[in-house]
Amino acid sequence: MSDPNNIIEMNNVGIRYGQGPEILSDIKLALPRGSFHFLTGQSGAGKTSLLSLMYLAQKPSRGQISVFNHNLSFANRDQLASLRRRIGVVFQDFRLIEHLSAFDNVALPLRVSGMDEREIRKRVTELLTWVELDAHMQDQTSILSGGEKQRVAIARAVINRPDLLLADEPTGNVDNIIAGKLMKLFVELNKLGTTVVIATHSDKIINDFAYPRLHLQNRGLHIYYPSDMSALGGVHV
Amino acid sequence: MSSSSYIARKQELPLKGENTSLFLQVIISIAVFIFAITLSGVLSVDSMISSWNKSILGSLTVQIIPVNDTDKEKARAETLAYEEKAVDFLKSVNGVTKVTPLSDEQLNELLLPWLGDGVDISELPAPRIIDVRISPDADFDFAQLAKDLAAASPQASLDNHKLWLNKLIAFADGLNLIATTILLLVSAITSGAIFYTTQMSLGLHHHIIEILHIVGAKDAYIAQQYAKRMAFLGFIGGIIGLFFAVPAIFFIGNLALAIEGGIITEAGLNFGDWAVILLLPLFSMLIAMLTAYYTVKKTLKKML
Repeated sequence: MSDPNNIIEMNNVGIRYGQGPEILSDIKLALPRGSFHFLTGQSGAGKTSLLSLMYLAQKPSRGQISVFNHNLSFANRDQLASLRRRIGVVFQDFRLIEHLSAFDNVALPLRVSGMDEREIRKRVTELLTWVELDAHMQDQTSILSGGEKQRVAIARAVINRPDLLLADEPTGNVDNIIAGKLMKLFVELNKLGTTVVIATHSDKIINDFAYPRLHLQNRGLHIYYPSDMSALGGVHV
Repeated sequence: MSSSSYIARKQELPLKGENTSLFLQVIISIAVFIFAITLSGVLSVDSMISSWNKSILGSLTVQIIPVNDTDKEKARAETLAYEEKAVDFLKSVNGVTKVTPLSDEQLNELLLPWLGDGVDISELPAPRIIDVRISPDADFDFAQLAKDLAAASPQASLDNHKLWLNKLIAFADGLNLIATTILLLVSAITSGAIFYTTQMSLGLHHHIIEILHIVGAKDAYIAQQYAKRMAFLGFIGGIIGLFFAVPAIFFIGNLALAIEGGIITEAGLNFGDWAVILLLPLFSMLIAMLTAYYTVKKTLKKML
């Protein structure tokens, strides 16, 4: 039975691709509602795989996962879709629909959930203005710069005020000013109750914001709190 | 920003520009063309049978077998006497509205195509024929009527045309079965083409479908986009197929009318038949839409 205060629970979760070795082994994780975590680990440590389990893009090879107190082993396809609507994801490679405008990309989560078009217009315009993309609203995302695409991707992830926000290197393609602004957005969302997990390599961000760190090492997951960050020692993140 | 810019919202899946669209339209056009021609054939045969049925339902034929005697005059007189007895009997039967023994001239005319000109019917042992009209509401026991007739006039035999008609109906049913098989095959081939092109398209747009799933789209949301597109292709393909089929149906109809014999002239399409044929683009639209919808649903089930 999962704890209702936890957004995500993982028990003895393992993941492997094909017949290869496990990339993640015996992962145990309880992510409290309203928490903020950084996800760190060397390249290839399994950060993207762990995130993909969290945003329900794949099933674990073994173990149990509960998201919003729903055991995923028993969730049908429509239930999975409903759970995904409560999760916002920012990808390192943006994953925008290139032939659509910035507006239509950001509107996507609202449209799939059947929101009224007038409300969509209001919300999307407001958010794109906030991320300083109001001048590019009707531009196809294929012609936007990397930084602009990143902001569109972030706007899409937060447009429906998700309960859980997962971001894979969200500030990797933007300058320090925009990065600071985006981090403030994540912090604000977290204050409003959104649980946030950000995978990052940026020491600056980790040091600027004193949040606990989920660290992947040797196929396992270790949690470090700001007070014992020194325990990481020479681990490169 | 003007509100009109929102109206031109693009579909998430760029199905309009796909190369397979033209292929599908051609397939559907050909399918609807074959479908329309075959269907018009089925409907014509049905209307022909119905027409024969109608004309036969209100009539009976009584045949008087000629008396065999070396004295031809005597034989003819006896045959005519049997004919008279049969006429008297038939006139007394409830539900019989008109009894008309065919004259020598009429019998000559009937036999003319087989015996040629200049043959005197009175010289031949040809049966006499009585045309009997009956009320359409009359409920006859034909077996009993035939017995009573034979008792009243032993040389008389009754033909209610059912045997002849049943053979024709069996033949027409055979034609209809072949036509139905063709219709099913055409539908199956069209559905198969839609199934495979939809699957190809799903593979092509895998990355977009993945994004749609991640933002919480249900399979039905994606399936609807395919269903809409295929419905459009199905309808346009149907219209094109029909555009070529209608003149072809008229052409075949004219060829059939040119056949002498009177049987084929009964074949024709009525208003209802034409309505069914003209509705074929809607049918092709429905088939395309449903095939695409369920193909997408089935295929996506294999994804997480």
